[in-house]
Amino acid sequence: MDYLLHILVMVALYAILAGSFNLLIGFSGLFALSHAAFFGVGAYTTAILAVGYGLPFPWPLLAGVVVAGLVGLAIGLPALRVGGEYLVIITLALQVIAVAVMLNWTSLTGGTQGIGNVPRIQVLGTALDTAGRFLPLAVAVAALSLWIAWRLGASPFGRALRAMRENEAAAQAVGKNVVAMKLIVFAVSAGIASIAGALYAHYIAFVSAVSFTIETTIYILAMVILGGTGNLSGSVLGAAILVVLPELLKFVDLPPDIADKLRQVMYGVILIVMLRLRPQGLLPEHDEKRARVPAGLGGDGLATLAPASPADGAVTVEGRGLMKGFGGIVAVQDFAIDLQRGRIIGLIGPNGAGKTTAFNLLTGFLAPDAGTVRVRGEVVSGRAPHRIVRAGMARSFQDLRLFRKMTVLDNVRVALPAQKGDRLLHVYLLPWVVRAEERANLGRAMAVLRFVGLEAKAGELAESLSYAEEKLLVIARLLATGAEVLLFDEPLSGLDPGTMESIFPIVRKLAQQGKTICIIEHNLDVIRGLCDWAVFLDEGRKIAEGTPDTLIADPVLAERYFK
Amino acid sequence: MTSVMLQATGIAAGYGRKRIVEGIDLTVGRGEIVLVLGHNGAGKTTLMRALFGLLTPDAGSVAYEGREIAGRRPAENVADGIAFIPQGHGIFRGLTVRDNLELGAYAERDAAKLTQRLETVHGLFPVLRERAGQVGGTLSGGQQQMLAIGMALMHGPRLVILDEPSIGLAPNLVDKVMQSIAYINRTLGTTILMVEQNVKYSLPIASRVAVLKTGRMIYDGPPDPLHDRVELMKLF
Amino acid sequence: MDLALQLLVNGIINGSHYALLGVGFGLIFGPTKITHFAFGPIFAVAAYVCWAAATKLGMPLAAAALVGIAASAAAGVLSYLWLYRPFERQGSSHLVVLIASLGLFITLENAIGIVFGTDTKVIADLSPDIFLWGPVVVTSIQLWQVAALALIAGLLAAFLRGSRHGKAIMAMTDNGEMAQIIGIDTVRVSILAFAAGSAVAAVPAVLILFKEGATPHMGFVAVFMAFVAVVVGGIGSFRGAIIGGYAVGIVENIGMWEIPTEWQSTIAFVVLFLILLFRPAGLFGRALR
Repeated sequence: MDYLLHILVMVALYAILAGSFNLLIGFSGLFALSHAAFFGVGAYTTAILAVGYGLPFPWPLLAGVVVAGLVGLAIGLPALRVGGEYLVIITLALQVIAVAVMLNWTSLTGGTQGIGNVPRIQVLGTALDTAGRFLPLAVAVAALSLWIAWRLGASPFGRALRAMRENEAAAQAVGKNVVAMKLIVFAVSAGIASIAGALYAHYIAFVSAVSFTIETTIYILAMVILGGTGNLSGSVLGAAILVVLPELLKFVDLPPDIADKLRQVMYGVILIVMLRLRPQGLLPEHDEKRARVPAGLGGDGLATLAPASPADGAVTVEGRGLMKGFGGIVAVQDFAIDLQRGRIIGLIGPNGAGKTTAFNLLTGFLAPDAGTVRVRGEVVSGRAPHRIVRAGMARSFQDLRLFRKMTVLDNVRVALPAQKGDRLLHVYLLPWVVRAEERANLGRAMAVLRFVGLEAKAGELAESLSYAEEKLLVIARLLATGAEVLLFDEPLSGLDPGTMESIFPIVRKLAQQGKTICIIEHNLDVIRGLCDWAVFLDEGRKIAEGTPDTLIADPVLAERYFK
Repeated sequence: MTSVMLQATGIAAGYGRKRIVEGIDLTVGRGEIVLVLGHNGAGKTTLMRALFGLLTPDAGSVAYEGREIAGRRPAENVADGIAFIPQGHGIFRGLTVRDNLELGAYAERDAAKLTQRLETVHGLFPVLRERAGQVGGTLSGGQQQMLAIGMALMHGPRLVILDEPSIGLAPNLVDKVMQSIAYINRTLGTTILMVEQNVKYSLPIASRVAVLKTGRMIYDGPPDPLHDRVELMKLF
Repeated sequence: MDLALQLLVNGIINGSHYALLGVGFGLIFGPTKITHFAFGPIFAVAAYVCWAAATKLGMPLAAAALVGIAASAAAGVLSYLWLYRPFERQGSSHLVVLIASLGLFITLENAIGIVFGTDTKVIADLSPDIFLWGPVVVTSIQLWQVAALALIAGLLAAFLRGSRHGKAIMAMTDNGEMAQIIGIDTVRVSILAFAAGSAVAAVPAVLILFKEGATPHMGFVAVFMAFVAVVVGGIGSFRGAIIGGYAVGIVENIGMWEIPTEWQSTIAFVVLFLILLFRPAGLFGRALR
């Protein structure tokens, strides 16, 4: 009986670990393989404070959360610079270093001996010294930890994390501060993992570095992959399966050493098989039923998003003297542009003329070597992209950069401006405010989708859209930022003429509602059909401007256009 | 018209669900220089990659010298006398000019033919002989493009497909590259299928022009009517 | 001073070992771009098979070493065909392949432990010669480690520069798509790269067996040292991997001058961490991506 209860305690502890790990790798796409180190930091902090200083529960646990949170921040720093495989290797190295510290800082950690006699937790004068007595506490703490993780994952902040996972630049382009998000999620994930460590130290009454090695990280990784990345229920299921399954080996008469190795083989094989056959895991992130959106939500106009302003032709964006060079090659030179409220301005020119570079300079994705950009009089050049979006200017990308594994609705919802739910303080302390905002935002997002004609697809994943629908979603997402100035980089390229012309009215309507619009297009039909004014760029500078028809009929420009 | 070398019918291709070209018919006669024009994103590169086999067409047929080659792997097409020069880095940037040229003839095992072709390439581009030991990536842009063309000639192709050889080159170099392509076509009899944005220097050497717009062919005929740039711009 | 000299010599010896690991790993990573974690346990396979051939089958050491090397090459090729190739076909991301590779890593390492046990396997009646050069002590096996690098680096250079297959590997390392365009069968070259890279890594594995014996965990250090050598030297360059291997070997040993012994194995990881963070293109190499 006690044995069974022991297994349940371990399930609870590993559910905490897998859930917190999922926040990093599943929700945020940050493959930082040093999770066992966070687990260890929690365990050691508890052991040291409880044994050495006699601190009673829960103080060592809370101290462990703080220490692990700081370690998490430190380990998160590389993630600001490197991603993908580099992050994996760099964090594996950190994991090894962490274990070396646990083993070798003998005065603090007891070295290879570890720390024994960690006192049991006392509740109402009873020591929780058996699995049965410990289980209720373990389950309660696990439930609380998972609730914290779940709140984060299900909040607008969690949605922003998934957007960052799908495409970092696009997340910035809808106003998200990805640097802050990465650091926060590292700290939170590490902090939650350390809770499991604290419980473990009290429960086993002994900590030693061997429990926190790479093998443990891979073990937790296998749980997350098995259960499903981006789904916390999956992590609980994955933890349960991978804790219980190896116990079945106990019924076979094997030497303990072999059984332990067989267990590891099992994790390895499960990792490989899952990645091959069901990479989304047993419980996938996307659930069609839950993603379904009830019909009739949201109004017909965009009024709730941004009040229409008069299309009065007032200058909203001023770019002056913009310069950018790449290693001696001048990409944009002394570029000046005015964009006006209610007008659609086209940016044309031959390939390599510097059009996209000009967009990057305006929106902060590249810092200009010289020159200034003003939005409604306010200097924005030199700011990070997400701050320029918040100042009222947003852009789309030539290569779309949709958040492919998110629903159409979420692609739009994540882009809505000034969300209180992007801040964890609100998520945990003012949940009702966030809930009300979410309800309102659902309506606003649906209104945007209705505006572009995608409301019927709201619950589908962005990756399942047709190419034309993807293009519409790009427009919808850009609109959702609420920005007054919209820069479209080839919004219609690759569409057949019929579809293209069906999108024209949408863009025109935006201009009538007082948006400032600038479009890069190579298809001159679009420029002719849509733009009031066009700017001709070549070799990084403005060569001419005028109505599209005059520019296109100019033989000198035509000669330049085709070189 | 001369005999048909390459005939593509009803080609559709793209990446994943994204169709980039649709229903393309294109004929290349033996000994011709066929120029494919079109704006960015019109699907020129996708079409060329589908013809060469770097991308499997979703529909349509490609007949090369009468044989169906749609969906064949690049290695087989190379062995069958087709060369492809991709956009941008059509060379091995970390290897020497000599190694690059030798690798260009990877599919050819006859040593005598190699020496002879190396002579031809050196004759065309003497600078490649002078810089034999230099690492490809350190050549100037124009020299890199010459090396890319030289590599393609090393296995003695009958058809060369070029994807925007002018990209990133100064105008005088573009002219030079186009002239060498015309020269190769004239002297070696190599058939050329070329995608370009630079009309000024490519149009004069073309024997036939196809214009691609948003994945469809909107013009297929002689180059002459396109010499009027304003007319051409209207097409775009 | 004498100690410094001995540490330097040790550094060069360990450096040769790391350089070989780096070259073997680079031979696989270069053309295939697969972050092959299972390189570690496959390295261990070489040592264990050699040990079994020598002690259980009573083969002469040289023959046993060859069997070990062959087994490693075969295991490398199988890992490509059975694990990585299906992922390639599926169009999986590099990251997914890397995680799968971790799965194979842990599977193989423990499988070795189950089959052979966790005790250190040594070849009993092996007594290497010991040379005293002034204040410096070296053993014949250590000299073999240095010689193995020289020999293999020479052979490999000749193979890569002089043979058709070697050139194909170089071409694919430089630019995989161009390799396809000029008609190289990239799947066959990948198979070749896995065979050659695993065989190269098997040599230092066998020498470590002679020197210290084999343990199931030996592959872990091996694959990380290979990473360190490749990363320090700059990804995509064999010369870089060799320089990187020596740099790490020497830094690690000279470091012992000041740093307590128990931290020795950590030095390399700290180096790896710092370089990946601040100079991801390597100290000597150029970025290829």
